[in-house]
Amino acid sequence: MLNKKMSRKQFLKLLVSGLAVLPFSNQIFGNAAHSAQDSAGFNGRPKSGVKGDYDLVIAKGEDPFNMTVKAVESMGGMGRFVKKGAVVVIKPNIGWDRSPEQAGNTNPQVVAALADMAYKAGAKRVNIFDITCNDPRRCYANSGVEAAASAVGAKIYFPDDWDVVKASFGYASPMQGWPILKDAIECDTFINVPILKHHSLTRLTLSMKNLMGVCGGNRGLMHLNIGPKLVDLTRFINPDLTIIDAYRVLVRNGPTGGNLADVNMMKTIIAATDPVLADTYASQLVDVDPMAVSYLKAAAKEKFGSLDTETAKKIIIEV
Amino acid sequence: MKKAVIARRFSQAFFLILFVYILWSTTYPLAGLLPPGTFFNIDPLLMIMTSLSSRVILPGFVVALGMLVLTLILGRFFCGWICPLGTSIDAVNLLRKQSSRKLSDAQNRVLSLPKFLILAAVGIAALLGRQIAWIFDPVVLMARFISLNLIPAVTASLNTFFIFLIRDLKFEGAVRDLYRSLKPTLLGVKTDFFSNAGVILAYFLAVVAVSLVISRFWCRSLCPLGALYALAGRFAPFRRVIDRCIKCQQCSNECRTGAIKKDLSYIRGECILCMDCIYTCPEQGIRFGFRGGASEPPSVAADDEPKGGISRKQFLVLLASSFAILGFRRTEGKSAAAVASGGGADIIRPPAALTENEFTDRCVRCGNCMKVCITNGLQPVMLETGYSGIWTPRLVPEIGYCEYQCTLCGRTCPTGAIPPLNLEQKLKIRLGTAEVDRSICLPWAEGKECIVCQEHCPVPEKAIILDREGPVGLGRPRISEELCVGCGICQNKCPVRPRRAIRVSPTGADRT
Repeated sequence: MLNKKMSRKQFLKLLVSGLAVLPFSNQIFGNAAHSAQDSAGFNGRPKSGVKGDYDLVIAKGEDPFNMTVKAVESMGGMGRFVKKGAVVVIKPNIGWDRSPEQAGNTNPQVVAALADMAYKAGAKRVNIFDITCNDPRRCYANSGVEAAASAVGAKIYFPDDWDVVKASFGYASPMQGWPILKDAIECDTFINVPILKHHSLTRLTLSMKNLMGVCGGNRGLMHLNIGPKLVDLTRFINPDLTIIDAYRVLVRNGPTGGNLADVNMMKTIIAATDPVLADTYASQLVDVDPMAVSYLKAAAKEKFGSLDTETAKKIIIEV
Repeated sequence: MKKAVIARRFSQAFFLILFVYILWSTTYPLAGLLPPGTFFNIDPLLMIMTSLSSRVILPGFVVALGMLVLTLILGRFFCGWICPLGTSIDAVNLLRKQSSRKLSDAQNRVLSLPKFLILAAVGIAALLGRQIAWIFDPVVLMARFISLNLIPAVTASLNTFFIFLIRDLKFEGAVRDLYRSLKPTLLGVKTDFFSNAGVILAYFLAVVAVSLVISRFWCRSLCPLGALYALAGRFAPFRRVIDRCIKCQQCSNECRTGAIKKDLSYIRGECILCMDCIYTCPEQGIRFGFRGGASEPPSVAADDEPKGGISRKQFLVLLASSFAILGFRRTEGKSAAAVASGGGADIIRPPAALTENEFTDRCVRCGNCMKVCITNGLQPVMLETGYSGIWTPRLVPEIGYCEYQCTLCGRTCPTGAIPPLNLEQKLKIRLGTAEVDRSICLPWAEGKECIVCQEHCPVPEKAIILDREGPVGLGRPRISEELCVGCGICQNKCPVRPRRAIRVSPTGADRT
C-alpha cells in the first residue's frame, strides 16, 4: 500500500517536471533548425511559368460554380496547372465574419469549384486557409467556405502562425524578413481566389491584396507604403492561377461591409495567370482607374506583370 | 467489495468529468450537451443569495430549491457525491497518509462552526442587497480554476507539445493532421490567456491543500454551501444506522468530516455520506437507510442535533450581522477607481452588462463569460474597481475585442448579470466609445498612410471616417460617436506600439 503511494507521488513529480521543461524545448532543440532560414537569396515560391490558352478569361452567368468551371476550362483546363499528386493551395478571402450575401468573403461556390477541379486533375491534397481578421471560427463557418470546401473533400484548416518562413528576396525589399506561412510556399500549385470589393486605402481589394492572408506579424504595419510591399509579396508567392470572384461586389464600406444595399450583383468571374492583369481588368470592371490602385501603380512602375487589358488575349464567355 | 464507496467514487468521478466537460464545451459554438450554467443553476447558495440580493427570481431558483428538498431527505449527498471541489479535495487526500490526526469532539465542533458564520454573513449581506456568495461558493471556486487555470494550461501545454513534435522533431503527416483536427475541437483555435490568473490558482490550491492537514477542512469548516446543506440535511430521514457495535471507535476516528463523535452518535449535518464507515466497521454493523435497527448506538442517548439550538443560532446571526455590516457594506460605487472616473468604473464591461452596482452584485464570478469569449478579450478584474469588483469580467481590447456578431457571453451567464441578447439586439449595444489619439496616430502625427482601424470597423456604415482633407489627401481617422459601438477591434488591430493610437473608453456604454 505504502509502495503504491510512493510510486504515484513519483509519477506526479515526473509529470510535473516534464511539463515544466516543455516550454523550453524550442530553446533546447529549435535553434539549429531555424538558423538556416536567415540565409540571403530568394526563398519564396519559384515561378512555374505555365500560361493559359488566354491571358484573360471573363465568365458571366448565374451559377458561380459553373462559371468558375467554364472559366478554367477556357484557360486550358485545371490539368495544366495541377499535376498528378500535387499539393494545391487555394487561398480565398475568408477574412471577415460575414455571410456570402454580404460579399465580404470569396463566394464559397467558386472555392468549391476550384477544389473540385483540382482533385479531378489528380491533386493529392487541396489545402484551403486564410489568416482571418475576425475570429477564424466564425469567419470559416459564416462565410460558407468551410462547408462548401469540405463538401468536395478539400482540407480547410486554421493555419499555424508559428509555422512561417522569414521572407528573403536577395535584394532590399520592404517585405524583407516578413513572416509568411510555410504552407503557402511549400505547395505545387497556388491558386489565389479573392473577391472584388471596395477598400478604403487601396480603393479595391483584389488578388494582390488577398495575399496578405498568408502573412503573419503585425499586419497593420503593411499598410505603410502598401503598393511596393504587395508587389514583392506577389513576387514571393507567385500564384499560378488567379480567379477573381466578382459575382457579388461590395461597392461601399469595404472591406467589411455588412449592408446588403452596398452589394452589386455583377455576376462575373475573372481568370488569369498574371495577377496584375487580372487585377487591372477587375478594377476597370468597377470603373476604377488601375493607376489609382496603389499596388497596381507600383506594379506598373516596377514593370511587374502587365496592365494592358487592351492587347491581352482575352475571351468573354456566357455560362 | 466496498460497493457503496465504489458507487460514491464513480459518482464523484462522473460529476467531476461532467463539470469539466461542460466548462470545456463553454466555447464557440456552444455545442455542449448541457447548458453552460448547469452546475451554477442547481447551486442553492448562488441562486438563493443572488436572487435575494438582486430581488429577482433567477431561472435556476426552483431547481436549486429542489436540491435543498432532496437534501432534506437524503442529507449532504451533494458534498460527498457531486461537488467537484469536494472531489478534488478527496483526490488530493489520496496523497496523504491514511492515519490522520485524531480530533476530539470539541475540536470537531469548533471546526464545524465557521461555515455557519460565513453562511450567515452571506445571507445577511444578501438581505442588505449585496451578493458575496461568490467568495466562498465551492462551485464557482472550482469553475474559475477549471476555466481560467486548468483548461488554458492544458491547451497551452498540448499546443506547445505539438509544435515541438512538428517543428523541432519534424513529425509531419499524421501528427500534423491530428494537430489540425484537434485545433477546432479539443485544443481550441488559440490558447487563452487570463491576466492575474495566478491569484485564482493560489486560492484554489490553498483550499485544496489545507485538506492535507485536516481532511475536508474546507467542506466541514468554511463552505457556506456545505453549511446550507448541513442545515437542510440535519433531520434527514435517510441516515446512518448501527445494527451491531463493539465501541471500537474506528468509524469515529476515520470519519473524514468528523461527523461521528467519540460516543458514536453522529451529527447528520456534518455527514457527507461518503460511506467509508460502513467498511471501516470491523463488525460490519453499519448501514445507511431510512429505517430499521437501533438508530443510535446502544450506549448513548439520541443526540444527533448539534448542541445549542436556537440560542446559538441567534448568537451566530448576531455575530454574522456585525461581521456583515462592518466588512461588506454596500459600497455604492464609492471605490477609489469609481470616484476617480466620476461614478462607474473606468473599465469596459461586457455588452449590455447591468449597471455597475447591480452588475458586481449579480455576477457570481463563475468565469463563464471569460471562458467563452471568442477573442479572449474578457479578462478578470483585480482591484481596478475596488474590492467589490474582484474577478468580474472586463474587456481588454489589446488582448481581444468584442466580436460584433457574437452573443456568447450573455448566453452563458448563469445569473443575467450579462443579459442574453439576440443578434439584432447585440448589434445595437454600445460598450463604449473609441477615441483617436492624434499625437501618435500614424496619419495624424507622422503623415503616414494607415487605415487599419477604419478597415476593421464592423459597423456596416463605418463608425470611423477617413477625412481626406489636408495637404496630402491622407485619410485621417475620425470617430462617429453616433455609430461607434465601442467593440474595440480598432484598438486591437491598431499597429501603433506600445500604446495604441485609438482606444475605447466606457463612455456612453449601454448598461441595462
